Amino acid sequence: MILKSIYLKNFRLHKSSVLEFSDELNYIVGGNGQGKTTILESIYYLCTTKSLNGSSDYESVNFNEEFFEIKGKFFDLTENNVVINFINESKRKNIYIDEKQIYKSSEVIGKFPVVTLTQSDHAVTFGSPGDRRKFIDSVISQTSETYLKILIEYNKTLKQRSSLLSQIKERYSPVLVDQLDAWSEALLKNGSEIVKHRLKFIDEFNVYVSEAYKNVMEESEIPFIDYDFYGSKKVDEIKDRFNEELTTNRNDEIRRGTNLVGPHRDEFQFILNGKELRKYGSQGQHKTFQIALRFAQFFYMKDKIQKSPIFLMDDVFGELDSYRAKKISHYLKEIGQAFITMTDFTNYKFLARNEKDKLIEVSEGKAVYA
Amino acid sequence: MLIAEPLQIAIEELSKLPGIGRKTAQRLALHVLKSDINNVNNLLNSLKDLKEKIKFCKDCFNISTDDLCDICKSVKRDRTVICVVEEASDVIAIEKTNEYNGLYHVLGGVLSPLSGTDPESLKIKELFDRLEKEKINEIILALNPDTEGEATSLFLAKRIKPLGINVTRIARGLPIGGDLEFADEATIGRAVINRSSI
Ligand SMILES: [Zn+2]
Repeated sequence: MILKSIYLKNFRLHKSSVLEFSDELNYIVGGNGQGKTTILESIYYLCTTKSLNGSSDYESVNFNEEFFEIKGKFFDLTENNVVINFINESKRKNIYIDEKQIYKSSEVIGKFPVVTLTQSDHAVTFGSPGDRRKFIDSVISQTSETYLKILIEYNKTLKQRSSLLSQIKERYSPVLVDQLDAWSEALLKNGSEIVKHRLKFIDEFNVYVSEAYKNVMEESEIPFIDYDFYGSKKVDEIKDRFNEELTTNRNDEIRRGTNLVGPHRDEFQFILNGKELRKYGSQGQHKTFQIALRFAQFFYMKDKIQKSPIFLMDDVFGELDSYRAKKISHYLKEIGQAFITMTDFTNYKFLARNEKDKLIEVSEGKAVYA
Repeated sequence: MLIAEPLQIAIEELSKLPGIGRKTAQRLALHVLKSDINNVNNLLNSLKDLKEKIKFCKDCFNISTDDLCDICKSVKRDRTVICVVEEASDVIAIEKTNEYNGLYHVLGGVLSPLSGTDPESLKIKELFDRLEKEKINEIILALNPDTEGEATSLFLAKRIKPLGINVTRIARGLPIGGDLEFADEATIGRAVINRSSI
């Protein structure tokens, strides 16, 4: 899938910008606060109908204006024109695909797949187990609607069960305790499906991660994501293992009034050369791992959905030495179309470029082709 | 005042109804205002009758004009099967299919610790009283396939099975007559996970 062009009206710093893109690499260069990340942000909006950094639609409207509008021309097998606008007064966001209004954002998600590599990926390797679960869940969800639905149901079950457990903790009564088994069984059903999906996914994804890592790094470092569910990696054992844990922890859960077992506590360990990255990895190894994960996600999604996602890379080159910047720019050539922001030209001369690539300079919300 | 008070109050009351937004409420109120007084009275009376004349069947808690509903009274129904549903509206939905000839039991909701609905606030005890008194061979669980419906089904199944009564549930999955390719992915995914032998 290719994004041919975008039009931005009153979107953050951009009062009115029209941008034509290359089918290959698009380097967007500009100082901080000049509106270069805004371009990635607008592309992300077109793909997902949501903002990249979790800010509200309202915050994306230019300071002096009453609305914003983003238009994008995608090309896959056919042309798709996507329009998103937001009007302050009505607090309404309107989405149109090929002039037909879309009322559910779920109808857009997945249609224009997107992979992002940004500074906030820091949390994926440095952060808590929850940050890694979030990453893994987002990759699986983008390729399996079934997984997403089961995950939503599992989380609802968790909430209900946690409410029940805290009520039991507060005042122990037979009526309350009597319901616990039903909620445990519901948790067991959905939870086991989640674990099965995750096991299968990690098994496949590890191949992509080591391939990507090789392309980002020269040395023979071997990356690996380790995942097990209470010591088990066998799909047909999961339900029994989960059940055992629920039984063992039943009294503890009642005493503490909260859910203590299940895939919502899963840990995915990132391993490099047999050692846990989080404990022993250098800054550079963390960065390389983060980059490899996103490239792996790109190729995994591409294979699964048979469609090339849009690849967005925000301010990553600035942190890399010239050697790795060059290596990654070579690897980007395999992606096809990508959008890459940079603050300056320090690394630019080291990058692998060809005449089809585009350099766009952004200053004070205006774009100029260099 | 911009809008006359009686009109405002009518809009306010109408917009309390489920599925009615302020705009629709306003349209309905203005429509009533323009209508013939006889039509308005007919509407009022029908609503009043609905509330005054309809009660709940003392056996199955379906809506009824008598102590027992028409289904419970009927001699043509199979009295060995009970289909358990959340609301009376589900009885209507299943009756419309003409595929079911047994009795019903309306729970009046589903278990939800978050909103404080426990087994005692549902007609669960009443269901087990029926199972004790009547000769029931099969219980069909026809609750909604959402989180709370699932947990309630599991809760009931676990307690009915030991009584030696066959517990089944309505299948969920692909729509009839629709091509597989047109069903949404999650529905197909679920149907594959819950596949049955043939
Ligand atoms: Zn009845």
